Amino acid sequence: MQDLDWLPLPPDNFKELCKDLESNQETAPIVKRLADSRLSQNQCNRLYRSIVKLSDDKLQQLQQGFDKVKLGIVSNGTTDLMVPGLFISALRRGIWIEPVIADFDQALQESQLPDSTINAARPDLVLLMLDYRAFSFASQTVAGCAEGFNAEDAIQYIDQIRQGFARHGQVNCIVPTLAVPPVNLLGSLDRRLTGSLKKQIHDFNHAITPLIAQSDDYLLDVETIAAELGTHNWFDERQWLSSRLALSDQAELFYFERLAALLAGIRGKSKKCLVLDLDNTLWGGVIGDDGMEGIILGQGHPQGEAHAQLQRYAKELKACGIILAVCSKNDEINALQPFKDHLDMVLREEDIAVFVANWNDKVSNLQHIARTLNIGIDSLVFVDDNPAEREIVRMNLPQVAVPELPSDPALYVRTLMAANYFETVNFTEEDKLRAEQYRQNSQRQKLMESATDLDSYLESLEMVAVMGSFDEMSYKRVTQLINKTNQFNLTTQRYTEAQVLEFERSSQYFCLQARLMDKFGDNGIVSVVICKKTPGQWEIDTWLMSCRVIKRRLEDLMCDEIVRQALADNATKLTGQYIPSAKNALVADLYPSLGFAQQDSGSWELDLTRYNFKSPPISIE
Amino acid sequence: MQNNTDILARLDEIFEDTFIDGDYEFSVELSSDDVEEWDSLAQIRLLTAIEKEFGIKFDIAQIEDLKSVRALSEAIAQKQ
Repeated sequence: MQDLDWLPLPPDNFKELCKDLESNQETAPIVKRLADSRLSQNQCNRLYRSIVKLSDDKLQQLQQGFDKVKLGIVSNGTTDLMVPGLFISALRRGIWIEPVIADFDQALQESQLPDSTINAARPDLVLLMLDYRAFSFASQTVAGCAEGFNAEDAIQYIDQIRQGFARHGQVNCIVPTLAVPPVNLLGSLDRRLTGSLKKQIHDFNHAITPLIAQSDDYLLDVETIAAELGTHNWFDERQWLSSRLALSDQAELFYFERLAALLAGIRGKSKKCLVLDLDNTLWGGVIGDDGMEGIILGQGHPQGEAHAQLQRYAKELKACGIILAVCSKNDEINALQPFKDHLDMVLREEDIAVFVANWNDKVSNLQHIARTLNIGIDSLVFVDDNPAEREIVRMNLPQVAVPELPSDPALYVRTLMAANYFETVNFTEEDKLRAEQYRQNSQRQKLMESATDLDSYLESLEMVAVMGSFDEMSYKRVTQLINKTNQFNLTTQRYTEAQVLEFERSSQYFCLQARLMDKFGDNGIVSVVICKKTPGQWEIDTWLMSCRVIKRRLEDLMCDEIVRQALADNATKLTGQYIPSAKNALVADLYPSLGFAQQDSGSWELDLTRYNFKSPPISIE
Repeated sequence: MQNNTDILARLDEIFEDTFIDGDYEFSVELSSDDVEEWDSLAQIRLLTAIEKEFGIKFDIAQIEDLKSVRALSEAIAQKQ
């Protein structure tokens, strides 16, 4: 996995495509395709320079398709060479990075001064790109070290930096665990030898993890990332000694990949659904030809165990809330048979939220899967052993992640794990249930197709809503929704956990969250509203709803509830804004459809005294 | 050095990838004075690319000396 093997190789005419980027009619798709390929540092550099040289018009147009992140970076190493690699890795994950880089080795100073380079630039996040050499323990010796916990100073140092950026820059940090360099004094004893570098780093990593988990900051587990690559490959002594470059060439690309994935996770852009091919992917052989007895799967056959391993990985992802789907060229009856009757199948029919086996092209089948689940096509990962299918999907649906698979099924799982599509910053109880909820949704879809009209369908769902303000139980999920809901989101305001708690505590704000249940199951918390209260008038600051409950008239219920509460607060007007984004066209007409009138300023206003309560068929518990 | 031409051809490619602005004429006489981009950090990137291409490792003492195409090609021939 050392050279980002899951990415396809760049096209042969890579250089020419970079050179002609400006004159190309299709700049955005070309950039996407090039960035999505397995580029070396020099190639990243070439593509990056072609992008920044684009004319203003083209550049602006290109930026539209990406989520912008202004990223402050402090480092104890040389950062001059890293921008191209970082920038291209982020493009791959749908993020446009604007880096703000502090001078060499200025982490503490930068954090403490309100007008430092980083704090003055008001970044969205600050990356602490620090390795063990940033800390005092790097120069400590076994002889000079007291017994006990060795990493105290280092933890204090990191805390000071984090608090500085929080106070003076109002910005959260990405904090690393530390890679353990290939050092050795007395062998395995080092692990518990007071003052040994190894023990100090282990102590630090052990202490920092829970500390960050309880904060608004984010952890980048560099220790593990470096171990994956091998620490001999991670650290390059010569580069450090000659130029203070902290990472080897190879390590840098891998590090940026994982950093970009974390940024995508923070921005809610991680993948949500794993779509699996069947023949020669989930099992060896072709079910239509070889039959139940003939396919290779499970114990007693090395290749069969490799396919079973992939199934176990998928099942584990499902337990973490990732949706599973099947997309196969097969007769459905043949394709389903192993899921029902093969003893070595790890995955069962009920694990698959959408099962598509037919002879249509995979591009339309993938579109169908995304539509059925009501998720963006860019939330899909498509796993297929057939290079031709992969290429067709890449060409037609560039937003779908399509990993290159090695020819050996024994390496499938490792490749998918290395690609790291499912980076998640917070895992709540809700997430565990998610895959199941999506499966319930596709059952609802079937019911809807059989119902005569929408209202009778909604009646038959027997929906129940539980509404309340934010509390201990819900604020993590509320924050998650605020940061990753894109489609049904009127203002796309993003807030941290701390800010969410602040809204709840403030008497100036009205906070509402709703959970929706029906006869198929519990959807969990799916809608959030935050209103700013002023005398006589409430203003909607945030109104969002998860895609999984769209077209259920929950928005009508929410509107009824806001109006009820606003009236009780003696307000006569409710106002709101629709701020268009690349993804929220869905709610462009929400306000007029609810009876709001547009003002000269462009914002929407509802006269509460004349509001017609919508009373949708949802009972309130 | 019978494979000198081969080394130079491969070096030319690497130079083209490393020094993208391309304000120079590649030849065996080229040195860091002739290429604006060829500073001490670019030197590290250049050496890394060469090491990858030729499957060799330079010593830390060599870094400062390998600042011309001639010195590079000689060092590569020696290491191979």
